[in-house]
Amino acid sequence: MRRGKLSLALAGFAVTLAACGSSTGATTTTGSTIVFGAAVSLTGTQSKEGALTKQGYDLWLDWIKARGGIVVNNVKHPIEIKYEDDQSNANLSATLVQKLITDEKANFILGPYGSTATASDAIVAERNGIPMVEANGAAESIFTKGYKFTFGVLSPAKKYLTGVLDMAATLNPKPTTIALLTARDAFSIEVSQGVKDYAPTLGMQVVFSKEYPAAAPDLSSLVTQAVAANPDILLNSGHYAEAVAINNAAKQFHLNAKIAAYSVGPSTPDFINNLHADANYVYDGSQWTPQVKYTPSFYLSVADYVKAYKAKFSTSDDPDYHVAESTAACLAFQKALENAGSLDPAKVRDALASLDVMTFFGQVKFDTRGLNTFKPMVVEQIQNGTHYTVFPASVANGRPQYPTPPWSSR
Amino acid sequence: MSQFTQQVILGLLLGGVYVAVGLGFSLVWGILNIVNLAHGALVIVGSYLTWVLFTRVHLDPFLTLPLDAVALFLIGYALQRGVINRVIRAPLLFTFLLTFGINLVIVSLLLLIFTPDFRSVLPSYSGSGLQLGSIAIPYIRLGGLAVAIVLAGILWLILNRTRVGAAILAVGADRDAAQLVGVDLRHMYALTFAIGAAFAGVAGGIISTSQSISPTAGDPYTLQAFVVVILGGLGRVSATVAGGLAFGLIEVLGQSAPGLGSGFSNAIAFVVLVVVLVVRPRGLLGRLA
Repeated sequence: MRRGKLSLALAGFAVTLAACGSSTGATTTTGSTIVFGAAVSLTGTQSKEGALTKQGYDLWLDWIKARGGIVVNNVKHPIEIKYEDDQSNANLSATLVQKLITDEKANFILGPYGSTATASDAIVAERNGIPMVEANGAAESIFTKGYKFTFGVLSPAKKYLTGVLDMAATLNPKPTTIALLTARDAFSIEVSQGVKDYAPTLGMQVVFSKEYPAAAPDLSSLVTQAVAANPDILLNSGHYAEAVAINNAAKQFHLNAKIAAYSVGPSTPDFINNLHADANYVYDGSQWTPQVKYTPSFYLSVADYVKAYKAKFSTSDDPDYHVAESTAACLAFQKALENAGSLDPAKVRDALASLDVMTFFGQVKFDTRGLNTFKPMVVEQIQNGTHYTVFPASVANGRPQYPTPPWSSR
Repeated sequence: MSQFTQQVILGLLLGGVYVAVGLGFSLVWGILNIVNLAHGALVIVGSYLTWVLFTRVHLDPFLTLPLDAVALFLIGYALQRGVINRVIRAPLLFTFLLTFGINLVIVSLLLLIFTPDFRSVLPSYSGSGLQLGSIAIPYIRLGGLAVAIVLAGILWLILNRTRVGAAILAVGADRDAAQLVGVDLRHMYALTFAIGAAFAGVAGGIISTSQSISPTAGDPYTLQAFVVVILGGLGRVSATVAGGLAFGLIEVLGQSAPGLGSGFSNAIAFVVLVVVLVVRPRGLLGRLA
């Protein structure tokens, strides 16, 4: 009797659906297409990083397409990503995001490349009430403005070098003095501030700290000044070019720190190709490495991710962390949509706020500001021309070679 | 105190690089009245030549310097004779535009050939040097300074002890008069530019041993050469030497002043530049026009 009533109700529901028009589809398995919009830098000065971001998004897109889409409340929704090229221009990025929302009918926004563009896109996302998950803007300032619709899957700037300090605290003899060289831009200054705030809590002391203009070709003056402070740890918060300049000057003027760590640069293959043996022993803080050992609850394992990357882009290079974090942004959306059981932007936003999943990229969980402060940065060291992940021990595939031998005996 | 001495020595070593970069720039500006905006690009061409010879042929970087000079001499001669000579008597703005364009072309060619990746020339002795107490003087930087002084000497000899030099100076003093007494102007123009380019090439070779290079690394050197020439004064080899060493010292001491990072070094250098222009417009050792 109950069964009869149920089938009657279902039949009525089907008639109602049909009456609503054919566009919604008669089946209950395939729903409307979910459109993600992304304004990334495909041309301009950040075209390389922009391309890596797009690679990360596309890698997930292939995977989810092969599965027919995201299942939301038992309905499978096909996925599409619409791209715009912001030409490495943060202001243009915001305009394009608005265009993606109004003209291209994007349901959700995937972040651009870089903190500056992310900051301007966040305003647009907020104004339209459309959730944005971003993977390439690490400046904490993006998240201190009270936005409710912007979430970042990557560890914030302040954590870029604190992992190195955590590692240093476990070493014997424990290094205690730090020389800190900082490029004068928002991101690098935040990275350094993180070091200055964190070092005292580990019983370490910043004994030398100076800033320099970004892209300074010769930093030998600052390096020779740092030599006089005789630091155990040499830290650079800057960019690739300055990491190389500091390493060269450290060699020439015998800055023999027990640990030399640079925020950006050493993780790229180019750093080793350029400096050869001089690159050895150098540490860097990285969002992710292909060696990490996380056990994800969905999507691919780390090894399968690396394999999928190499296959899709026909390369022998490992995926860089920019690619991995971009994929992680897609995964956050996927899980939040599944959890929300709805395509409603406000509900998806709430599901993102309460998200807590383990992915191949690490834990994805947001604090009240929308920052993923729960995933640790990993520390890499170059040993004999190869990158090894050396910290935290739970995800490492190597041990730190410590202390770094003086230049005269290398 | 030893810290101060170290900074002074570093300033002189850096100044040597500026001398090397400034010599060719000063010559071309003084004689041809061309502010060569492609000078930095020519410097970097020299750096890449040294890098290629060092990594492919395993030639010591200091032995590559004469080859840099010869190669850049030929490139410079062809550039001037084939391209720049066409606007040599046009207003300054035209040579500005032309050399700016040449700069873009050279940088783009370097990008095509060598990619934007950074390159370093790291000979086995790149980490060694004199150690006087706590003061370190790397051999490569000392070598760079020595080469810069030798370059200055060679230029002085060419200009003051050879017929070619006399002709070059004559062209600089008065083109028409020089032509009247039988100087082949087109050849002299090209020769002057070629010598300037050759010096730029050697400077590039020196730079590649102490810094990483990339195709776009040349632009700051054009600016620095400009400051060196203004600071020292136009028209004398000794003025460029004084300007280069002074600029190196100002830059380094500006960075090591308590409370100042290197962010202020450029500001300090340019404040000094403005002061020199106001107080002594012909530069530290420049001749009165």
